[in-house]
Order: sequence, then C-alpha cells, then structure tokens
Amino acid sequence: MKMKLLVLAMAALIAWGLKRHYADARADDLGWILSPTARLVGVMTRTTFALQPGEGYFSRDRLFLIEKSCAGVNFMIAAFGMLMLALVHRVGSGVSAARVLGASLVASYSAAVLVNAVRIAMAMWLAAHPVALSTFSAADVHRLEGITVYFGGLVLLYELAQRFDRSTVLLVGQKP
Amino acid sequence: MNHALWTSVARAFRRMALPLASYYAVTLALPLANGAAQSGDAFIKHALVVLIVPPVAIVLACAFHSIAYAFGSACSSTLAHQRARKTASRDVSNPAQC
Repeated sequence: MKMKLLVLAMAALIAWGLKRHYADARADDLGWILSPTARLVGVMTRTTFALQPGEGYFSRDRLFLIEKSCAGVNFMIAAFGMLMLALVHRVGSGVSAARVLGASLVASYSAAVLVNAVRIAMAMWLAAHPVALSTFSAADVHRLEGITVYFGGLVLLYELAQRFDRSTVLLVGQKP
Repeated sequence: MNHALWTSVARAFRRMALPLASYYAVTLALPLANGAAQSGDAFIKHALVVLIVPPVAIVLACAFHSIAYAFGSACSSTLAHQRARKTASRDVSNPAQC
C-alpha cells in the first residue's frame, strides 16, 4: 500500500513538472513533442513542416502553423494520470513501480504524438473543406473536433491498457 | 430496445469513468485551479462544451452500437430462418435412405 501511494505521489510530481515545463516553455523548448508530431502530420497530410524559431512548425503550402498550444502536453498529462491510476494495482516492488511509471510515460507520450497528429491532420482537412453549418463557427467546429479526438484517444488508450493488463495477467498467471 | 440501450449507456459510463475523469481533470479542474474562472464568459462557454460533448459522444456511440447489434441480430436470425427452411424442403424432397 505504501509503495502504491509513493508511486502515485511520484506520478503527481511528474504531471506537475510537465505542466510547469509546458507553462514556462516557448515553442522551441517543446521540440521533444512538437517535432515528432509535425513529422507525423506531414506524413499524414503529405506536406512538410519547417521549424520557425520562436513560433513552431509551419507548412508553407498549407499555410498552417503547429504552435505551442497545439503541442498536446495536456493530453499527455491526462493520459499519464489515467494510465497510472489504471495500472497502479500492478505495483508491488520497486522494480514493478519503475516499470509501471516508465511504461505509462512512454505510452502517454506516444499516444499524445499520435492522437495530436490525427487531430491536427483533421483540423487541416476541416480548414481546407469548411463545414457549412450555420449554427457552428469554424472555431466551434475546431473545438468540437479537438474534444472528440482527445476524449476518443483517451478512451482507446484506456481500452488498450486494460486489454494489455488482462492479457499479461493471463500470461503470467498472477499479478506481478 | 430502449431498456437495452439505457443499460448499455449505464455500463459504458461505468467503463469510461476513468478516461472521463482524467479528461475533466485536465480540461476543467486544472484551469479552474489556475484561476481560469476569472476570464468569465469565455471559460464558461468552453467549460460547458467540454462538459457536454464527451457524455453525448458516449450516448451516441452506445446508440450506434445498439442499432448495429440489433440490425446484425435481425440479419443473422433471418439468414438462419432461411437456411432452416431450405434444409427442411431438401429433407422432404430427398428423404434420407438407410
């Protein structure tokens, strides 16, 4: 029990550190997440994004800027917290605690890059093909798209984590 | 149908509780803790949309799943019924020989 609480406290500290880093960072400091996201969006939309110092990643042919607020760090924090709460029951020793923390960090980072790239690619498509709905402005559509993709991404990640959790328990025969 | 739909909606909400809580924590609780409420109407509008869209998406997904499941069941029972009729008519025209 003590170990589980300690791990949850460490997870909270990591999440807080990420949030602080995100609040203080400029676009250039977020290259660790913006760069792979921009590359993945480039592959999805067949365009190239170039680094604009101080601004983010810019596509000249699509006139689209991936800036600091598009980094997906908040999604990563949500995914990390969710995975930690979902997998904390596997913590029993120092090694398993490190494994759960590491796996949650890697999974939340990968999910953030992937889900955010999908969201940005969809936003680029919506910007090029504006939806003709009189009740919703372009900003409303962008917001709805963001909420749906981010929440859907969290649900998918949770389902994947649950399946992985169940299959490893079945394989090993008991919780580690 | 209606009862089955609401049962699956309730089950989906129980299953999605953790993703929903994580999402609300990052999109609503953290900004509120950082004093976003002071920005007034803009945050209230944002918060309302953030609060409403995920549950609506869950209900819509359940409704879609229930309709697809009911359609699939209806199709498979019709196919099974047709197959049974075919077999029965074949049995009458070609009685088994011993």
